[in-house]
This record gives sequence, structure tokens and C-alpha cells, in this order.
Amino acid sequence: MNISPAVRTTAPTQPEQVDQRQMTISPLVDVYENAQEILLFADVPGATKDGIDIRVDNGQVSLSAHRDTTSFADRENLAPIQSEVRAYDYYRVFAVPTGIEPTKIEAELTAGVLKVRFPKSDALKPRQIAVKAG
Amino acid sequence: MFPRFSDFDRTFSLFDELRRRMDRVWDDYEPDGFEAPNLSFSAFSAWPKVNVYDAADSLVLTADIPGITEKDVKVTLTADSLTVTGDRKTVVPDGYTVQRQERPSTHFSRSWTLPCKVDAEKSAAFVKDGVLTLKIAKAADAQPRQIAIRAQS
Repeated sequence: MNISPAVRTTAPTQPEQVDQRQMTISPLVDVYENAQEILLFADVPGATKDGIDIRVDNGQVSLSAHRDTTSFADRENLAPIQSEVRAYDYYRVFAVPTGIEPTKIEAELTAGVLKVRFPKSDALKPRQIAVKAG
Repeated sequence: MFPRFSDFDRTFSLFDELRRRMDRVWDDYEPDGFEAPNLSFSAFSAWPKVNVYDAADSLVLTADIPGITEKDVKVTLTADSLTVTGDRKTVVPDGYTVQRQERPSTHFSRSWTLPCKVDAEKSAAFVKDGVLTLKIAKAADAQPRQIAIRAQS
């Protein structure tokens, strides 16, 4: 299943929205880079496409992913035998080079892993300098 | 001022990294920081993390297995034990350099002794959004029974 959550480039979350959040943990990430782009993978098990929010603001990228808690709530009346996971949201902020093109960021969610591509602008890409013989 | 990414900065970024990792350990153990932890020691180190519930006629297990599809996970059920095994490969894409790698490549296996006899035939498992859900039906004689109470005159 490949779905692309919307990428927003708006101001940071308003305080009143923060209040409604459930507790958050920062997801584990892998970050890879090549000449064209920065590629990020984040483990967000239980998060769905609608709950993912990627914001680019002032050299920072914030990822947040909402884990739907209804499945936890359904089981509240069940007797827990072992309980290692609780309902939480994911949130993490990264500094990105200013040469990232915010409008071209792409994200997809597959099997609880969020994959985000940050394409570099031409200014950031490595350039070959031709050496002229004198 | 020190120029960015000097040796001085690098040294301190190591401390920052150490602090982040310590924070993560506490986060994993007790993310909200207030409630008394209802966690066993295995919750510290075991992967994947699971919840197990008793739903009267069945046992329900959920496990966070991000990046693992139904092909890479195996559930083995006997009359009184359960084993979940699987592989997770995090592969560096071709031509990319690694900047940060926190997501482990792992082979995992966790087993449980079940608290009652179960019926493997009626059990089901599915994976959705990186969460494995197992519904294990209890054997008929392990299910709770209502005892009718008669009035005695």
C-alpha cells in the first residue's frame, strides 16, 4: 500500500492544537543522503495517512504522526495481560539545509514506515568545476 | 565564535547524541512520565513491543512491527504456547550515504506460554499499518461460563 500524505508548508502547530495531543514519543529514523536528495525513514507503527503532518518552517522540518487510539480504547474493558505499547503520537523535528525545496517534498507511508524525500535545490547539489589548462 | 562543525562542535554533538539516546530509553520505558509503569523488564529491550489482552473468549495480541509485511513474520501456535518470529531488513538504498541510522535490522523471536488452552483453527492474524494483530480463540473448555443461579425457597 503506497499513499502520499499531504505535505504542508505552514506555520508551526497552534498551541491549542498541541493541548489536544496525546503523549508523544520521537520515532526512530534513518537518514540517507545523495547528491540529489535527503531521504528519511521513520518508524511510525499504527499511524495512518490522515494523521501524518509534515511541516517545513525556517530551516526546520517537523514530522508528526497521529496514532489512532480507538483500537486501544476498544480494549480498555479487556483485561491486559502484558502491556508494552501505549497510545501515543509521534513527533520529531529536524534541522534541514536551507537549500531544500519545500514544495517538492514527497512522503509515503508503507507498513508503518514513513518515507520522506527532501529534494535538494540546484544550489546544494555538488558541482564539477572544470579545470582549464593555463 | 567557533565556526560551525569545528572539532569543538563535534565533541559536544556527541554529548547531545548521548543525551538524546538516554531520553529515548526513558521515553520507551514510560512515555508519559507520570503513570506507574505497567511494564515488565522485557519492555526495555524486547522487540517488537506487544500488548496482550484477555477478551473472555479469546486472547488478543498486538505487536508494533513497522516495515514488516505479512511475508516476513511468522506466527506459530501450539496448544499452550505462542511464538512470533520475523525479519526486518533496513537496507541502505543504492548510492546513498548514511547520515543517521536508528532503525535496527533485526531477526526477532518472542514466545509466550499461554494462560489457557487455545484453538489454533479458529485463530487469525493480520498486519495493518505496521501493527500485527493476533486473535487467538480459547479452547471451548477454557472459555468463561455463566452459572445460572436459582432461587432456593
